[in-house]
Amino acid sequence: MSFTITCPICGKRDLYEFRFGGEEHGPRPDYQALTPQAWCDYVHRRTHRAGPQQEWWFHRDGCGRWFTVWRDPGTNRETSCSEKRR
Amino acid sequence: MNRIAPSPAQRIHRRHRVSFTYGNRLLEGYRGDTVATALFANGVRIFSRSLKYHRPRGLYSLDGESSNCLMEIDGLPNMRAEQVPLRSGMQVRAQNVWGSPKRDLLGFLDAFHWAMPAGFYYRLFHKPYRLWPLFQNLIRRAAGAGTVNPDWVPGRTDELHLNADVCVVGGGPAGMHAAKAAAQSGLRVVVLEARPWLGGFYDWRTARYDQAPLFERSRSLARELEGLANVRIHTSCTATGLYGHNLVTAVQDGGPEDFFYQRYLEIRARAVVVATGCTERPLVFEHNERPGVMQPGCAHRLAHTYALLPGTSAVFSVGHDLGLEAAADLHDLGLQIVCVADCRPDGHDPQRVAALEERNIPLLKGWVAARALGRKGVEAAVLTTTDGNATRTVTCDLLAASAGLSPLTGLLSLARLPLAYHERTGFFLPTSMPEGLYAAGRLLGYDDPPAIELSGTAAGRSAAAQCGALDVGTAQEAHRQLKDRHRVMRGSKLVMAPGANAKSFVCFDEDVTVKHLRQAVSMGLDVPELAKRFTAAGTGPSQSGIPGHNLPLIMAHLRGESAGTLRPTTVRPPLKPTLLATYAGHPMDIHKKTPLHEVQERSGAVFHRVGVWKRARYFRDDPTGRDEILNVRRNVGIFDGSTLGKFRIFGPDAEKALQRVYVSDMSRVPAGKLKYSAMCTEDGCLLDDGVVTRVGENEYYFTTSTSRAGATVEWFRYHSRHEDWRYHLVNLTDALASINLAGPKAREVLARLTDADVSNEAFPFMGYRTFRLQGRVPARVLRLGFVGELSYEIHVPSSMAATVWQWLLEAGRPFGIRPFGLEAQNVLRLEKGHVIIGQESEIRTTLIDLGLGFLWDRTKTWAKTVGAPALQFAENQKGRLKLVGFQVDGTRPPLDGSIVVDGSIRGHVCTCRHSPTLEKPIGLALVHEDLAAAGSRLHLFEPGDPPEYFDAVVVPVPFYDPHGKRMKS
Amino acid sequence: MFQPFGRLWKQAPLRSAYDVVIVGGGLHGLATAYYLARNHGINRVAVLEKNHIGYGSAGRNTAIVRANQRTQENIPLYDEGLKMWPQLMDELDFNLMFFNCGNLNLAHSEAALGALRLQVASAQYLGVRSEIVDRQQCKELIPQLNLSEDITYPIFGGMYHPPGGTVRHDALVWALAKGASARGVHIHQQTEVTGITVRRNRVSAVETSRGTIATHRVLNAAGPWSVLVSDMVGVRLPIHVLPIQAMVTEPLKPFLHHVISSGTYHCYAHQSLKGEVVTGAHMDPWISYGTHVTAHYIRHQAEALTELLPCLRGVKFMRQWGGLADMTPDMAPIIDGNDPIEGYYMDCGWGYFGFKSAPITGKYMAQYMATGRRPQILRPFRLQRYEENRLLGEIASPPQYGPWN
Repeated sequence: MSFTITCPICGKRDLYEFRFGGEEHGPRPDYQALTPQAWCDYVHRRTHRAGPQQEWWFHRDGCGRWFTVWRDPGTNRETSCSEKRR
Repeated sequence: MNRIAPSPAQRIHRRHRVSFTYGNRLLEGYRGDTVATALFANGVRIFSRSLKYHRPRGLYSLDGESSNCLMEIDGLPNMRAEQVPLRSGMQVRAQNVWGSPKRDLLGFLDAFHWAMPAGFYYRLFHKPYRLWPLFQNLIRRAAGAGTVNPDWVPGRTDELHLNADVCVVGGGPAGMHAAKAAAQSGLRVVVLEARPWLGGFYDWRTARYDQAPLFERSRSLARELEGLANVRIHTSCTATGLYGHNLVTAVQDGGPEDFFYQRYLEIRARAVVVATGCTERPLVFEHNERPGVMQPGCAHRLAHTYALLPGTSAVFSVGHDLGLEAAADLHDLGLQIVCVADCRPDGHDPQRVAALEERNIPLLKGWVAARALGRKGVEAAVLTTTDGNATRTVTCDLLAASAGLSPLTGLLSLARLPLAYHERTGFFLPTSMPEGLYAAGRLLGYDDPPAIELSGTAAGRSAAAQCGALDVGTAQEAHRQLKDRHRVMRGSKLVMAPGANAKSFVCFDEDVTVKHLRQAVSMGLDVPELAKRFTAAGTGPSQSGIPGHNLPLIMAHLRGESAGTLRPTTVRPPLKPTLLATYAGHPMDIHKKTPLHEVQERSGAVFHRVGVWKRARYFRDDPTGRDEILNVRRNVGIFDGSTLGKFRIFGPDAEKALQRVYVSDMSRVPAGKLKYSAMCTEDGCLLDDGVVTRVGENEYYFTTSTSRAGATVEWFRYHSRHEDWRYHLVNLTDALASINLAGPKAREVLARLTDADVSNEAFPFMGYRTFRLQGRVPARVLRLGFVGELSYEIHVPSSMAATVWQWLLEAGRPFGIRPFGLEAQNVLRLEKGHVIIGQESEIRTTLIDLGLGFLWDRTKTWAKTVGAPALQFAENQKGRLKLVGFQVDGTRPPLDGSIVVDGSIRGHVCTCRHSPTLEKPIGLALVHEDLAAAGSRLHLFEPGDPPEYFDAVVVPVPFYDPHGKRMKS
Repeated sequence: MFQPFGRLWKQAPLRSAYDVVIVGGGLHGLATAYYLARNHGINRVAVLEKNHIGYGSAGRNTAIVRANQRTQENIPLYDEGLKMWPQLMDELDFNLMFFNCGNLNLAHSEAALGALRLQVASAQYLGVRSEIVDRQQCKELIPQLNLSEDITYPIFGGMYHPPGGTVRHDALVWALAKGASARGVHIHQQTEVTGITVRRNRVSAVETSRGTIATHRVLNAAGPWSVLVSDMVGVRLPIHVLPIQAMVTEPLKPFLHHVISSGTYHCYAHQSLKGEVVTGAHMDPWISYGTHVTAHYIRHQAEALTELLPCLRGVKFMRQWGGLADMTPDMAPIIDGNDPIEGYYMDCGWGYFGFKSAPITGKYMAQYMATGRRPQILRPFRLQRYEENRLLGEIASPPQYGPWN
């Protein structure tokens, strides 16, 4: 067990207690006039910064809540507010 | 045994003799000895043979830096004899020898070193290709050290998971002071020390600081720490890893009094202090690994800690004041010191120079060992000036050689800190430290006891400040003092003697020499990471123990660059090779049992594992479940469906949530009736199916498949994470058991347990009722037909499940009731054409491909239902695989996974069984849509030797009771 | 013969223009460069590598080769790839240490055996040797195997694939670099691509940390970094980059004579020619560009291995390392070109199949780039398939990572 994620309810816990929910990429698109390209964009394509990004996490072995944290996939660390937008 | 008079610093217990066997010899040592020191005491000098050249190897260092001392101990291969404490009755054997270490039949290979340039195996043996397998076998047999012992049974293992404020790695003077400083702030401190005792470099030294010999000083400090309630000390405990966010892992060897053989530790700490100190930097010269060449620290410790004289007459070649100290001290203990070569022209500690003079030991400044002479042990040393212009040969049987010190930066490397060459010390050190991680002591290049101790205190205080237990000002005060006491390191930076070449070993484990590195550089593999992969330097059992920091220094030299242009190779965990048994701990078969496990066991159920559950596969002796199947069709059966997901969802936005994840229009879910629907992935694939009913205002009860029960809450909430919806979702899966009562006589059985009207009119197919069984047990009863018969799914509190099961068995006895298992259920649902997710579906099959498109309500785009766009886009696509039913010509069903072929692969058989009801083989297959029409002929290919072909025809599903009369009656 | 090689690949000046620029000095990039020069006479080719060649997945994978894939879209490519090794050893004059030991995949349930049977059927039908074996035959292949019913997932049977085995991965890097360089290809290490210039929907240049290179053909073979490289031309890829871990034990005398793997235990192992038991591979289900390792995984692996092969209890893990896997939603690669940008080619999204497929893909990729026409064998791997909702069936169920299942 290695890295940690900070759950807003349970606090800093081991990463393996959580389920990764991908980067935050906005609410579901409107289904009216949705093109296959836009649909594929929403479902499969992500930005994947190698720097801090906002992500969804689910506390599976805890409170059962989805929440977002800022994390840098380059370092695997949660980042503080000041680092959020580089 | 060949011991000298006891030193006050000794760690052996002369009253306790310990006998052990080495090969077929019975030997004796003392308690406190390691296997290696006991062997040394018994005159053993050649401990092993090297991997490639089978060169003799002996005791070189004492902390597992090389594979020289790898032996088979008590049946375990590759044990580090210099670290394994001697125990009574131990059986020790040499490894990698043909014969004995002394007389090894493969010793001749050393003479053929010229035939084995760097990477020679990439160049040879592959042409012609047909001979390669032959060489491959030879290579395999020659490689490898030690043999797996399948009969070895691990002793008891233990594991410990600690949360600490401060974890101090290294219990030397710096580590102890760090621990003390942190503990004084009231923090919980864990100290990890690899050796069996605290003390580090102090433990064997008689030099004085502040009136007391160093060894006494460290022992009194250790006693002080041991007395602190908030300090937890683990000795014989090597830190093996430093993972993200300060997670330290360690492995502790159990001593004679411990209940465990080995213990695995994980320590999550708010702050970590790395005070791992230094190892001696190997000096690279010709034959630098001959038995009799030894690190000065090793020689020094042999004498003080184990009361062993490392030789009779010694030559020292050092580059550090500690080497001078060792020479003078060993002289006093009875070792004849012929001379001390020190590669430094100046900058020696004058006191130590004076000490040598007092003892008439010649000191050769600017000289270094260039070659060890002697075949199986050192007989003389060739010394040279550092410019290589003058040489002299000196007879000796011990050549104590080192190039100074190298910091043990393993843990810092694991923390992914980039190392940079530090000019003042000649060390590779991190340029900055992240928050919560501190380093202290000799590791940082502090050389004298006051600075080492102060740096420990400073690091301990910084760690305490990090934990909020000390103000930052106080923490910084110690650092300020430290700056004032700063002293220039007196180490030399020379690591390679003039003339080092084909017999100058940079890596002992893999027999990699300076010549090999030169070859690698000339081939373009000119950085340590590439040279390591090409020559294998640093990839052996001791990893970077010997080559470590020397590799980049020597390669920079070979490239004609200044020291520090290259970096050491990446260090990987575990820092000490660790038994799989220790990592694995006790074997645990973690699984769940349903509340009906025991009652089914009594009925002769055979269980198997499905996901986390143990489920009844069949009862008694028939794995095909034929009688169970026929009994459901003719009479009545009961089935444990407790693993089924059961959920309650309520709140003002519960309906919206259902609309989001279910493809049907969930606004029309009735009360008292069940609605069957499905969830899809974003790609429109079937994810889950189940039934939903309304049980109150804004309140629903629904079921999911077994495999999805665990992820349902996650799925609902994920897909509404952007919405401001208010609903509660409660997982009742474990709270409620589910018993499926199925068969034409099911109603009669159920009627015996309740007064409620269960007639077809009062409780029709797809109905949902709640009533009490036997007037006591509240039940939710779902009238469904997964197996294609009249059936009731009875959900009752888990605590009452076994009772209800018994009631049903008793009530059903006159009707021939019997339990049925998963195997029977699988065939029953197949006859009915019902799909099992994952069995009949895969990631490229949409709901429509499965023939379940009718569930999807395409009008509710406002609900943004998961999977709906994919269904829309793929709806009219050509060339998709469709699920069809088929009937096989002949009597034997092809096995699941057979494929549909007609020149190319056109689909595959998902499930195929002999139907006892229809008395013929039937199945479901995913086939190309061209073949999906009823009446299409399918050609099936079942693999085997030879393969078998089957002919089949696509038929409509359900196979059984196509109009559902039976389940609706 | 007993002298070392000369320089394996030449140091060349960075030219201002190349016919083809390949981003990524891994196996796919080097193989494509090699075949461009060897088969198509195109040798004004630059391979740009940010670090040193083979630094990424090429040097971190566990070196297993096989051709028992699940679908007919994949099998022919891997089959042809598997048959190349002896020939490659000869033509590159480099001992790639192809160890044809065969691969045994374990099944731990009836259903899993059915899934393996589909693979075996597809393989046999397409002429690839592969067979279903019962549990006793598994034991005959690997006598140390634990057939007991008391383990978490008792062994039910398996799939044995004799033509598979292992190859020394680093050797392949060096051999391809040597072969490509000998034919005029330039290998530029420590050269990072910082941008790709597109003019009128056509690639015109590549920006690097060492200057601009004019070119009309670029191959994105950057493995886990391919998403970021593709971003440079505005083509977003459905790739998730996940950390994957592996480890080796100390070297031992030979005792394990086949590659053994179990999907249920998330574990595979083989013994290298050097004697180490090489074992992997755990993929953490979150995005990462760091090759971190975790304590969780080394324990998991020990638990799995000691259940399957109890003789390993007395063996020690020596080294644990991490790499990155570029995962697509259907675990099949993205191989495409000239769509939507003329001259921009992609060979990425290999996940953990990138090693075994490298030489053969390089061969066809070279043909693709030389002629501009997509070879038949690469047709299934178009990027467009995700928009068309036509995933490949290389895996049966949705992968256990990402938010989509």
